[in-house]
Amino acid sequence: MSRRLAWPAAVAAVAVAVLLSLAVGTRPVPPAAVLDALLHGGSSPDALVVRSLRLPRTEVGLTAGAALGVAGAALQAVTRNPLADPGILGLSQGAAAGVVLAIASGLASGFAGYVWYAFAGAVVAACLVYGIAARGRGGASPVKLALAGTALSAMTAGGTTVVLTSSSATLDQFRFWQVGALSGRDAGTVGRMLPFLLAGAVLVLACARGLDALALGDETARALGHRVGLLRVTAALGATLLTAAAVAAAGPIAFVGLAVPHLARRLVTSGGHRAVLPLSALLGAGLLLAADVAGRVVRAPAEVPAGVMTALVGVPVLVVLVRRRGAVN
Amino acid sequence: MLLRPTPRLSLLLHRRSLRTAVALLVLLLALMGLAACVGQTFVAPGEVWRTVRGQSTPYDLVVNELRVPRIVLGALVGAALGLAGALVQTVTRNPLASPDVIGVGHGAAAATVLALATGAVASPGAVPLVAVAGGLAAAGLVYVLAWRHGMQPSRFVLTGVGIGVALSAIVQLYLTDSELEAAEQVKLWLTGSLNGRGWEQAGPLAVVLLLSLPALVWAGRAARPLGLDPETAAALGVRVDRTRLGLTVLGVVLAACATGAAGPIGFVALTAPQLARRLTRTPQLPLVSSALTGAVVLVGADLAARTLVPPLEVPVGALTSLVGGPYLLWLLGRGGRRQL
Repeated sequence: MSRRLAWPAAVAAVAVAVLLSLAVGTRPVPPAAVLDALLHGGSSPDALVVRSLRLPRTEVGLTAGAALGVAGAALQAVTRNPLADPGILGLSQGAAAGVVLAIASGLASGFAGYVWYAFAGAVVAACLVYGIAARGRGGASPVKLALAGTALSAMTAGGTTVVLTSSSATLDQFRFWQVGALSGRDAGTVGRMLPFLLAGAVLVLACARGLDALALGDETARALGHRVGLLRVTAALGATLLTAAAVAAAGPIAFVGLAVPHLARRLVTSGGHRAVLPLSALLGAGLLLAADVAGRVVRAPAEVPAGVMTALVGVPVLVVLVRRRGAVN
Repeated sequence: MLLRPTPRLSLLLHRRSLRTAVALLVLLLALMGLAACVGQTFVAPGEVWRTVRGQSTPYDLVVNELRVPRIVLGALVGAALGLAGALVQTVTRNPLASPDVIGVGHGAAAATVLALATGAVASPGAVPLVAVAGGLAAAGLVYVLAWRHGMQPSRFVLTGVGIGVALSAIVQLYLTDSELEAAEQVKLWLTGSLNGRGWEQAGPLAVVLLLSLPALVWAGRAARPLGLDPETAAALGVRVDRTRLGLTVLGVVLAACATGAAGPIGFVALTAPQLARRLTRTPQLPLVSSALTGAVVLVGADLAARTLVPPLEVPVGALTSLVGGPYLLWLLGRGGRRQL
């Protein structure tokens, strides 16, 4: 694919994914009927399925996918580690801990009830990681951030495992959230997360030029007039808000945040992060929606959760990408 | 300091590493001793010593049959994981890399889950070779996929993470598809546990570790130039790709065998080398100290797992991170003299 076509192709892919996400399922709805349902509502079975089931699901997929893509791109730049993904600052595990606590203590049940607990868990984890990494000499260096995030993630996972292996009722609910999926989300999910998503996106996008400079190393970035510490905090905070909101809405969906930025950086010829970040948003949304639609078809009438499909669809793409070019940095 | 027992043989020793290794060894032995005393019934150290030496005491069953094999297995698994982590991190030059990152743990888990789903094995830990084969196969696949005109660390690690995610998706699918009881069994095995394990698992692992000793001596020397950039290492006459392959194979085999013995215990392989490096303050990842650190973390975690909330036995893998994590975080917060 020629690179000039990357943007129109990405936009078209997302549009097609949205349409499919509204049309495909155990009750196929023709595209014309989908449009009709969106514009005029109505109470036909088709319209009900589209508006009350598939529309919220598509909204969650779009926003969570875009948020994970942008957050991944920002975190890979901040930590200068191509392995960084939204899980790296302990966000996914923090959210999981929040959900496990909510289930085990009987405070919440059902995906809608988990949202705030997941969000709070993710934010608390990120604050702890940053607070620890920022102490000591050298402040929150990329390696310290990544190691602190991994350590805290592992500790949190250990704690949740203790609960899960001793309470089968909790495991029974948690395993369906943990896999990451778009089904069963209610219509208000995205609305509740929207302020955080917007704030996160604004923070990350404001750092776009600075992230380009960070790639050249801290010294160079300073020489170019960037305040490296402030830049890192701002970008990481933005990524935290985006990830926390995405995980709260859809569960810990793997891989989107890791793979999408690599793809976006391949497709972008100029403009640095000012192009990479928006393209990551498009690609993330497209990947997650496409994975969700594929999950409805593969084992119909049963569904494969989107979190499983993102991996199975995305991994071959990543492997081919990584093989085709030289170093990925 | 440089040891030259004969002119043909020289050995470079880093004084602080030596002191650290000795201190870690003492700590490990003390922990193992403590673990032999503590549990549902407390056995005094003197009694433990007599029992281990084969004199007849009332504690023969508790100490010799239950505790000692489990403690030894814990130390072996920890050492194997620590070594594997140090080797893989040296090859990839990435402190976040570990055998798990290049697919070993996920491969073992996916193979186990597939064997369960097809009914080939009855319970997750029943056939450890399934896990070992899965781990080796996954890491091999990652290596082959990432190989292109040579091996680039970043490409290797990224491919590994990708394959790992795909394999873990298979496991997740099994967890949501299966009955709750089966899901619980798998979850328990995935966490890694020494419950009800002993000589049967410790024997083969000890043999693997012994057999790999000569290779480890080679690895300790071969790993040094890899800390330089590849061009410099190549200019010094190091066959970079071949060395990397050797170190990787060694690390993967050790990690896979540890996984077969106790399940895919996380975090030890990742942190042990990082902890050891900060303790010894060497620029390289110290192999001996990494092995000892891994053993200390695992024996300590299993001691906690047995004694924290009796009679409930928490799987050790849930606690390795709780034992090693805070320490790593403290070290990070304190910050060493050297910038990372």
